[in-house]
Amino acid sequence: MIAREETLRDLMTRAQGGDKQAYAVLLEQTGRWLTRFFAQKISPDAVDDLVQDTLISLHRKRASYDPTRPFLPWLAAIARYRWVDRLRQTYRHAADELQDQYSVGDHEDVIGAKISIDRLLHQLPEGQAVAIRLVKIDGLSIAEACNKCGQSEPLVKVNIHRGLKRLAALIESE
Amino acid sequence: MNNKFDIAALVVDLEPVTALNPRRPLMIAAAILAAMIALIIGIQGIRADVMAGHPDEMFLIRAGILLVLGGATANAVTSMASPSVGKSNNGWQIALAAAVVFPLSALIVATTGDIGPAVSAMQSGMRCMMYSAIGGLATAVPMVLALRRGAPTSLARAGWLTGIAAGGLGAFAYNLHCPFNNVVYIGLWYTLAVGGCAVIGRLVVPRLIRW
Repeated sequence: MIAREETLRDLMTRAQGGDKQAYAVLLEQTGRWLTRFFAQKISPDAVDDLVQDTLISLHRKRASYDPTRPFLPWLAAIARYRWVDRLRQTYRHAADELQDQYSVGDHEDVIGAKISIDRLLHQLPEGQAVAIRLVKIDGLSIAEACNKCGQSEPLVKVNIHRGLKRLAALIESE
Repeated sequence: MNNKFDIAALVVDLEPVTALNPRRPLMIAAAILAAMIALIIGIQGIRADVMAGHPDEMFLIRAGILLVLGGATANAVTSMASPSVGKSNNGWQIALAAAVVFPLSALIVATTGDIGPAVSAMQSGMRCMMYSAIGGLATAVPMVLALRRGAPTSLARAGWLTGIAAGGLGAFAYNLHCPFNNVVYIGLWYTLAVGGCAVIGRLVVPRLIRW
């Protein structure tokens, strides 16, 4: 069972004051909350990494919590930032691909392999969603994706680049 | 979840912290603005109509809009240091919409062929931009420091808003000297000053506050 908002808020306020016992309980409880939070958004094998990233961010940025305001919306903002940051890393990867048109090989570290973005893909223009799905999720090469969707090679690359950038913006605005 | 070790390490590392106070950087920015105003008046002098106690209507409108724009955006910037899903701080949007009236009016008036001193007083316009940028840079410092200590979750927006706030406050400081009341002049040079600071903010600030 996860502690209620009032309890978490109290624990966080005490943690800001240096109460280690309260902080240990808070981190344990927020870890559970974050696991649920990310489980609704990303693939299961990526959850632990993002939970840990977010807990470390909570630790580093604990002064930014305003004790007069609710705790969970603050935690959710931190968690969402870490998620978007993960997405941006992939966006930068896609930008690098755009600059090197002969380099289309390794797709193992891309976001599609780690983060389930099905829910967001339908908010993109069809061309961008198809290009991201084929290359970043299904793992096809650019050339294979071109044959399958009928887009030219430069268009597939541009659609991936713009689509990932837009996905990051969509998550940020949620 | 395999974060037991990390939790223990974080607990051991815990030190007391003071929660961010969003009013503090605003007060520091206000103090810097006051110093910039004193500096500009000391170097360039104050408008004659203000000195005489009979300020022109256009000056009052311009000063008011610049101050509201700078203040509302600065408030939004410092509020971004303490993020929260669902929290909205949109006062800056209204202030920006009000400020856009100047360039729009300038455009409309300029199409009639009456551009006043907008081009002939280019030297003064460049000075407006320079002082606005210097004043803006100074007032941006406490805002950027607050963002660095905090946890801004939209870096690009934080960059734009820091630039607009700094440009608005910097332009407000110079506006106390600027002798021109022509709407085309204001629409051109003040827009360039605030817009230029906004672009610089967008380009520079996100690199400084990434976490």
